[in-house]
Amino acid sequence: MRKHILVLLALALGIGFRAGAQSLTEGGQVSGSFQTDAQYYRLDEGIGINDLRGKQLGINGFGKVNYTNGDFSAGIRFEAFLPEMNGFRPELNGVGLANFFATYDNGFVGVTVGDIYDQFGSGLVFRTYEEWSLGMDNALRGARVVLRPAQGVTLKGVYGRQRFFWAPYLERDMDNDDYRGIVRGVDAEWDLNQSIPALSESQFRMSLGGSFVSKRQYDQSLFYYIPENVGAASARLNLGYGRVSFSTEYAYKINDPSAINNFIYKEGQALLASLSYSQKGFGAVLQVKRTDNMSFKSMYTGKQNDLDINFIPPINYTHTHSLPSLYTYSTQPNGEMAAQLQINYTIPKGTLLGGKYGTKLAFNMSQVNDIVRDSIMENGRMVINKPGTLGYTSNFFAISDHRFFRDINIEIDKKISKDWHLTAQYINLYYDIETIEGHAGAPVVQANIGFLDVTFKINNKQSLRLELQGLWEKEVHAGYEYEESEMKDYQKRGDWAAALLEYSINPHWSFSIADKWNYGNPVEEYRDHYFTGTVTYIHDATRVMLSAGRQSEGVVCVGGVCRTVPASSGVTLTVSTSF
Amino acid sequence: MNKLLSILAVAALLCVASGCDQIDINNTHKPITPVSGSKTVLIKDFTGARCVNCPEAAEYAHELQHRLGEDRIFIMGVHAGFLAQPMGQFPDFITEEGTAWYNDNSSNPLFAVDHVALTEGNTLYVEQIDTPVSDALAETQLFDINIVNTYDEATRSLSVKNTFYPTGDGEGKYYATVCLVEDSIVGWQTIPGGVDREYVFRNVFRGTLNGADGELVSDGHFYYDDTFVTNASMVLDTTYNADQCYILTYIYDYETGKIMHTEMQKIK
Repeated sequence: MRKHILVLLALALGIGFRAGAQSLTEGGQVSGSFQTDAQYYRLDEGIGINDLRGKQLGINGFGKVNYTNGDFSAGIRFEAFLPEMNGFRPELNGVGLANFFATYDNGFVGVTVGDIYDQFGSGLVFRTYEEWSLGMDNALRGARVVLRPAQGVTLKGVYGRQRFFWAPYLERDMDNDDYRGIVRGVDAEWDLNQSIPALSESQFRMSLGGSFVSKRQYDQSLFYYIPENVGAASARLNLGYGRVSFSTEYAYKINDPSAINNFIYKEGQALLASLSYSQKGFGAVLQVKRTDNMSFKSMYTGKQNDLDINFIPPINYTHTHSLPSLYTYSTQPNGEMAAQLQINYTIPKGTLLGGKYGTKLAFNMSQVNDIVRDSIMENGRMVINKPGTLGYTSNFFAISDHRFFRDINIEIDKKISKDWHLTAQYINLYYDIETIEGHAGAPVVQANIGFLDVTFKINNKQSLRLELQGLWEKEVHAGYEYEESEMKDYQKRGDWAAALLEYSINPHWSFSIADKWNYGNPVEEYRDHYFTGTVTYIHDATRVMLSAGRQSEGVVCVGGVCRTVPASSGVTLTVSTSF
Repeated sequence: MNKLLSILAVAALLCVASGCDQIDINNTHKPITPVSGSKTVLIKDFTGARCVNCPEAAEYAHELQHRLGEDRIFIMGVHAGFLAQPMGQFPDFITEEGTAWYNDNSSNPLFAVDHVALTEGNTLYVEQIDTPVSDALAETQLFDINIVNTYDEATRSLSVKNTFYPTGDGEGKYYATVCLVEDSIVGWQTIPGGVDREYVFRNVFRGTLNGADGELVSDGHFYYDDTFVTNASMVLDTTYNADQCYILTYIYDYETGKIMHTEMQKIK
């Protein structure tokens, strides 16, 4: 590590000297942020926590410092998981310098060494990112060069190895479980409106882009020939005219047998398209997506949410209230067909329905189905998804009857008076819990969900907010007959009610009490209350939050990537600040 | 500028050309590389009829067995865990011993290669079993096992005599477990996208004849010309197909749980 830092400093100083007479300390700006999340766990037989398995405390923390001086910037991030909080991967356990980088960018050329976060297009072939709430970080440790040879033209190249928790980046131990390949990629983007003066003020907008990414991995398999270089390419187009925009990207990946796809040699494909229209008071977006065998990892034996080279964007509504978030869709890496329509409309002020302040309406519908997979002939018999074969064939435009997910929701957001504000939403949900969460044989979640969120401004400093939520399942509720052996499949199932009351004294204090009650669970012993009390103090950019109570089992999803959160009981402290 | 763009274009083409390896789809399997030696290896496949990923994992393990030697690798399907719990038409293959070996884990499929139970460091996902199997095959064989089964069709009573022959001098505390295995049982199994109602369950562990830990074979020093004999018996359940039943015996180091050798013999 010391060696890395010395190399980094040498590079930084070298770049700094090349930048001319500019001093590395004069005129520089330092920024950063820190966060610590700590959970103290306690036994709580009421929600089935009879054993803490030796863990009474979990602490996740990071601190990052960035330095910018003209064309030069550099940063480090330090992380500590001592030990990691429940629900985070145990491989995170540890402490150390997780991330560092140095960048020099003068507008024509930009060079970064160290840990790189970047994305080509929508990420279908390359995206590295860090998501603290998921405990996920797939940064590429290596180098990136960006060239801008002409106005509107950007060329980019990246090269490196991805972060895998605390595993070393050396290649000497190829037989180790943490061995992963090298990733290298190039991307080109051309913005015609910037390049062609005649188009600079035009209502017509157009940009083109293309990427190629390849991973270099050693074939460690005993009985399959694993391709040691796997390439993926994509092409993208963005068009716009006035208020209408259209963007699309198509990606193709060559044979990439892996543990995720059951070692089949089929190519991967993905198509993403979005059409949108917006004007004052009205906006609409239609998105469609098809992916087939597009999991792309730098470790072909990996099966979990790590070492992803690419990113398959979800096209679902992101719910923030607790009951709608109980069932959040997780992207299926082996294939899915999805569509989403979002319409926003503001009823103008001064009309009968708009009232004095106007009324915002939003409609969203998204649905995800499986792709159709047809058997292939192998040694005289029909097989499907058999290792060592092409796996299956799939009609690009065919949609399987197997529906994974559907969410239809409508929201009204209304400022009623100077002191009252109201948001209400109704959601109709279909969630294939067997596919998404792996509860084999469990009935699909079909639920109606609603919430009412009312804020009352007591005076200029104080306000009260009340949230009332309900979730009613169509089939599974109290009285539903289940097999004793499948009882565990019914945690969090059935009807729920939730309420939250929050009192805020601006700008510093906030106090809230909340309860979630799974009153309609078919299993009597799961009909639990999840009480929490929370105090939050904010001072400038510093936030301290202390909460005590119970946390229900669930999933946390960001961008279609999810982690399971086990039920817990205890005290949680979060301290964060930035400067 | 044109020169720069030309150089970049050539570099990009070279990058694409060197960045893709297309495997011939008619030649995806590597030639069999026999591992020398005579030691056998037991793969315990901790599975469940309601586990959607288990059939694929089992197929992978059988492919490994096929490629590295069917006479030297044994796979036993141990149904244990939440996804093995019977429900509706799904079969019940759960056993007390299998549940003990499963050791309170919470997922399927999981594998143990030449280990009695799923313990720390010996709990493997299917994609992790290649190297341990290959390594175990290359180990020196410490014992040989001879199984003699006597089965009475009328009474369905089965007697098993196991004889253990050390292949050299040694020391330690060794136990042997005698397992009953039934092959090719047809029943319901969850598969991706639904349920296969005629799924063929291979080598299903039905129980032991001498407990989850087995019984003592040798404690202390042993010599090349020693022989150790154990006897066990049982009455075969009437629902089991005797034509498809086998006795699988393994001998293991009691301190570490590591299996030293395994043999399997049809009961009829």
